[in-house]
Amino acid sequence: MEIVIQEATLLDLPEIMKLETASFANDAWSEETFRSELAAEHTFYILALQGKDLVGYAGLSKLEGSDQADIQTIAVREDKRGLGIGKTMMDALTLQAKVLWAKEIFLEVRADNAVAQKLYKLFGFKQIGTRKKYYQPDGVDAYIMKTDIKRNEHSEPVVLGIETSCDETGVGIVRGNKLLANIISSSMDKHAIFGGVVPEIAARAHLEALTPVLDEALEKANLTLDDIDAIAVTNGPGLAGALMVGVGAAKALSVATGKPIYAVNHLVGHVGADILDRGELHTPTIALLVSGGHTSLLLVRDLLNDVVLLGETIDDAAGEAFDKVSRVLGLSYPGGPEIDRAAKDANPSAIRFPRGLTLPKDMADHRYDFSFSGLKTAVARHVELAESKGEDISIGDVAASFREAVVDVLIKKAITACKDYEVPRLLLGGGVVANARLREVAKEQCEANGIELRIPPLSLCTDNGAMIAAIGAQLIMAGRAPSSLDFSAESTLPVTTVQS
Amino acid sequence: MKATAASTRIAEYSLAIDTSAGTTVAVLRMGTVLAELNYQEPMTHSERIGSAIEAVLQLSGIQAKQISTVVAGVGPGPFTGLRVGLAAAGYFAIGAAAELVGVCSLDSIALDFYTANPEHKALLVTTDARRKEVFWATYSGVVNGIPVRTQGPSVNKFEDITSLIDLSSFATTELGVRAGALGQIAFAQGLSREGASSDVNPIYLREPDAVPSKGKKVSG
Repeated sequence: MEIVIQEATLLDLPEIMKLETASFANDAWSEETFRSELAAEHTFYILALQGKDLVGYAGLSKLEGSDQADIQTIAVREDKRGLGIGKTMMDALTLQAKVLWAKEIFLEVRADNAVAQKLYKLFGFKQIGTRKKYYQPDGVDAYIMKTDIKRNEHSEPVVLGIETSCDETGVGIVRGNKLLANIISSSMDKHAIFGGVVPEIAARAHLEALTPVLDEALEKANLTLDDIDAIAVTNGPGLAGALMVGVGAAKALSVATGKPIYAVNHLVGHVGADILDRGELHTPTIALLVSGGHTSLLLVRDLLNDVVLLGETIDDAAGEAFDKVSRVLGLSYPGGPEIDRAAKDANPSAIRFPRGLTLPKDMADHRYDFSFSGLKTAVARHVELAESKGEDISIGDVAASFREAVVDVLIKKAITACKDYEVPRLLLGGGVVANARLREVAKEQCEANGIELRIPPLSLCTDNGAMIAAIGAQLIMAGRAPSSLDFSAESTLPVTTVQS
Repeated sequence: MKATAASTRIAEYSLAIDTSAGTTVAVLRMGTVLAELNYQEPMTHSERIGSAIEAVLQLSGIQAKQISTVVAGVGPGPFTGLRVGLAAAGYFAIGAAAELVGVCSLDSIALDFYTANPEHKALLVTTDARRKEVFWATYSGVVNGIPVRTQGPSVNKFEDITSLIDLSSFATTELGVRAGALGQIAFAQGLSREGASSDVNPIYLREPDAVPSKGKKVSG
């Protein structure tokens, strides 16, 4: 009679236990163990049925966010062995591992079970280690075996990412960990006369840029919408009215194409940018994200499951401080490049501007937080005082001294976090990374402290859709379900919510 | 609005979307509403829009790919909400490979009013523009299924409209924007010589609130 494979439920527990105790005389799992295995979210158990008879079962475990799966157990009723039932169940488990985007499958097998080992070898499993006397009370060794799941490049998910959280409209396309397109349209010039990002102007520009940016991204990737497997969109944090443009567009695109949608955290996206730069993200890492809207220090132990906000600015973002000081010095917008230019060859120690939240008391209460408001005011006072006395100021020296104060605090706190958490890695992200002095000091300080420094290319550091697509792809490959269509744009979305 | 090329084909199925006030969506076949959903809330556009479109397609039994025209209500309306519908309409049209056309949101109110009151001649339509102002337009009737707009759309304090028109000669209405009516208007326009408008730029009527930087002095 034909063998049917179906997924096991808790109702199957009594029948499974009968076979378990019969199959594994001295090392059978208890009913409680098996119950929790069946109930767990990260496990997949199947039954082999012949008519109504249970003739075998097997289970796979695959944790979210991990690319490794484990064969938990496999059993075939004694009188049904040698009929290919074990192979059929292994087929089902490896397929499931593949569906969940696992890259490797591990298992343990009794050293004295040659029949099982032969079956596993058929599936490409190779012995990679031995656990001495693992099976008790028999005192039998366990062989640890592993197989790699082969997939061609084209089987990795193609994800389209949409980003509209501030003044850049971004659409990016990735295939798995690989960047295919990254198109950005910035409304920066339209904000110039206002000296900072005007939310309504940014939102208007997003609506205008959405279609051309999408068209260009598809063209660059040489794909059509039919080739896209899923859509990812930033739903926060950011400017509410700006976020809503991308969210509305992404949802409609999802309904129109029938492709699943993933609502992604913008800040986590900045961390994910490094995947596209070097093909993978090394964790743990400290991430310093510095832009016109954010100044955040993150501890990332696991991109999808363990991102912690260590600290952030309590007033202005660093990029904002650059813009405001640029105005004070009569320079234009955006301030970062202007101040960089003015500071070139000038003296960074000419004026000792305050370093916010670095006093011993602040390092206790606000160890990883930033404050740039006082610094901005100090620069303004310095300039006004000089003017009132009729003295000339060196714009270069003021710019260089101001920039030094900002960079000093940013890098000092990031290095402190690396040391405190014993994390040997620092990742920079956000538009302020364009600042030459920031990169220079980060490099010096990381080298001096034995910390690996990661700075993705600027097109992946500024706000972009590719980094959002990258997180979408990671979520899919971790087996995460899509977001429901009802998620909202959340201007203060916490960094712990990777997917809404 | 700029004059635009006529749409030559008559679309069988269309999807109409408007978020100039609440969220309203409709699916039409040859200008007849198959299903329509109206949410009055003025703040939840970006949450609602995806499920609303999905639900109205399901209610009408139409697949997204069958939609050949997307009709966007282009306002006027409060900016943040208005944009959600326009962004959604634009990307839906790309995703479904449909044509995208725009209709003034206030026109839908006029169509519904004249359908219920065919004997009336002059109509003043107003919607809430916040900040104690209203968006408004006047109409003289409906010709070939298309409301004839005589003034507007504009934004003013209601009291100030009285200096622009003689209120006593206009009927007014409490009706709201309805996607089904926008779809009907677009269909009627598609049959006309001019065709439906491919201009889907939002009618904002107000500049962004922002004051150019005076530069320098920021301390104190």
